[in-house]
Amino acid sequence: MKKTGKKASLDYYLILATVGVLFAISAICIYGMFYFKLAQIHQLPAPEKMAYMNWMNAVVSPFLIALILLLGICVPKRLLPTAWMVRLAVVLAGAALGVWFGFGGKAALVAVLLASLVLQLVVLGMAVTGSERLHFEKSGYWVRVGSSLVHLGIILFVLDVFFYQNPQLHLVLFWVTTGASVLGMLFCFYSKTVVGLVRRLTCKG
Amino acid sequence: MDTLLPFSTYSFFGHNILLLLACSAVLCGLSGVVNLFSKTSLLPRTTTVLFAATILLFLAGFVGIGWFHYQVYQHIVLELPADFAAMLNQQLTLMNRGAEYGLPLYNAESPPRYVLPLWLENEKYYFWFMCYAVMAFIAHLCLQQHRLQAALHILLAVQVAVLFFKTDPFLEPLPKFFAEVEPWFSSQMSSGQRFGFFMRLYPKMTFYYNAHYMWFHPPLLFLSYACITITFVASLFMLVKRDVDIEKMGYDYAKLGYFLLTLGMLLGYPWALKAWGPNWWWDPKICSSIMMWAIYSTYLHTRLYANKAAMWYFSSVLGIVCFLAMIFTFLTSFFFPGEHTF
Repeated sequence: MKKTGKKASLDYYLILATVGVLFAISAICIYGMFYFKLAQIHQLPAPEKMAYMNWMNAVVSPFLIALILLLGICVPKRLLPTAWMVRLAVVLAGAALGVWFGFGGKAALVAVLLASLVLQLVVLGMAVTGSERLHFEKSGYWVRVGSSLVHLGIILFVLDVFFYQNPQLHLVLFWVTTGASVLGMLFCFYSKTVVGLVRRLTCKG
Repeated sequence: MDTLLPFSTYSFFGHNILLLLACSAVLCGLSGVVNLFSKTSLLPRTTTVLFAATILLFLAGFVGIGWFHYQVYQHIVLELPADFAAMLNQQLTLMNRGAEYGLPLYNAESPPRYVLPLWLENEKYYFWFMCYAVMAFIAHLCLQQHRLQAALHILLAVQVAVLFFKTDPFLEPLPKFFAEVEPWFSSQMSSGQRFGFFMRLYPKMTFYYNAHYMWFHPPLLFLSYACITITFVASLFMLVKRDVDIEKMGYDYAKLGYFLLTLGMLLGYPWALKAWGPNWWWDPKICSSIMMWAIYSTYLHTRLYANKAAMWYFSSVLGIVCFLAMIFTFLTSFFFPGEHTF
C-alpha cells in the first residue's frame, strides 16, 4: 500500500513538472509573438529571419529537452521499475548537459532525442507485446499503446523540425509522426471503442 | 463580374436564411437566459425543437454557400489565348526547374478553375459557429442539465448575433477574392497585361485557394474550436458545482478537440512548407498555436488528477484558459504580422 502511495505521488509530481515545462514553452511562444511584431521580423531579409528562427529554437530547446526527459519517465513508468526510469533520466540529463558544454545545444538536443527515441521504441514494443498483466482485449492495453505512440509522435516531431533542411527525411518523418500521433490519440482517448472493435473483429475471425 | 455570377440571388437567399437563423437563435438565447435562472427546466421540448431548427437553418445556408462556390467553379476560369499558353508553359518549366514545389503546367483543354473551400473570409465564422451548433446540440441531448443547456443556448445566440451583425458571409460574398480576380474580367486589359496578371493569380490559386490542405487544415481547427467552447462552458460550471457528469462531458469534448486540433495543426505543416518555404517557423500564429496546444496538453494532464480537490479547480481554470488561448490564437491573425495575417 505504501509503495502504491509513493508511486501515485511520483506520478502526481511528474504531471506537475510536465505542466510547468508546458507553461514555460507557452510563455516562450508569447514572447516570440511580441518580439516578432516589435522587431518587424517579417520585413527582414531571409538570413535575418533564419537567425531569428535559430535563436528561438535555441531558447526553447532546454525546455524541449526537459519535456522529452519527462516523457521518457512518464510513459514507461508502468512498464519498467520507476527507480530505473528516474536513474536513466538523471543519467540522460547529465549526458545532455555534458554534450551541451562540449558540442552545443543542437548536439545535446539530438543526443537526447535519439536516446529518447530508442527508449520510446522499446516502451512501444513492450506495450504492443504486452507485459504479463496486460491483455490486448482490455482498455488499459490500448491506453498504454496509444500513450506510447503519442509520446513517440512528439519525439519524432521535434526530430523532424530539427531535420527540416533535409527534405526527403523531413517529409517521411513528418508522416510517420502524424500517423503515430493520430493512432496514439485514437487508442488513448477511445480505448473502450477500440476494445469493442477488436472484440467484434476477433469474434468474426 | 455581376453578369457572370448570381450575386443578388445568393445574397437574397443567404440574408433570409440568416434572418431566420437570427430569430431562432434569439428565441434560443431567451430560453437560455430564463432557464439559467430557473430552478427547473422550462419548455425543454420547445427548446430542443428550436435548437434543431437552428441547426437545419445553418445547414441550409451552408448548402447555399456550396452552391455559390460551384457557380464560381463554373464561371471563373483563367483562360489564356493558345499562343500565350505555349509561352506560359515554357516559363513555368523554367520556374519549376530546381524548385521543390513547382506550379502545374497550363492545360489549354482544361484551363485552371477556382475550387474554393467553403470556409473562406467571412464564411469561416459561419462554418465555425455551425460546428459549434452541432456539437452543442449533441451536448444538449446527452446531458439533461438545464442550466448547462441554457449556457450553451446563450453562447449560440451570441455567435449568431456576431454572424448577423458583423460577419455576414452573404451580404458581400468573398470581397477579397473578388477584388483579386475582378481585373481578369476587365475588357481593357492588353494580352501582355493579362499574361502578367495570370502569373499573379496562378500561384495563389495553386497554393492557397485550390490547395488540398485547405479542405483539412482550417475545418479541423474550427471543429476543435467548437469542442474547446463546450469544454469552456463545462469548466465554468465545474468552478461553481462539483458535478462529475459535467466534468466527464467537458473532458469528452476536450479529447475530441485535442485530437482535431493536433491533426489540424500537423496537416498545416506540409502545406506551409509547400506554400511558404522554410521561413515560416516561429511566425506569431505558429507561436500562438503551439502555446494553445501546450495549454491544452496541460489541461489533459491535470485532468488525470481532477479527483484531487485542488486539481479539480486547477483543471477547470485551465479549461477556461484553453478557451481564452483559442480566442487569442484566432485574433493573432488580425493583430500580428506574419504569413497567417488576414
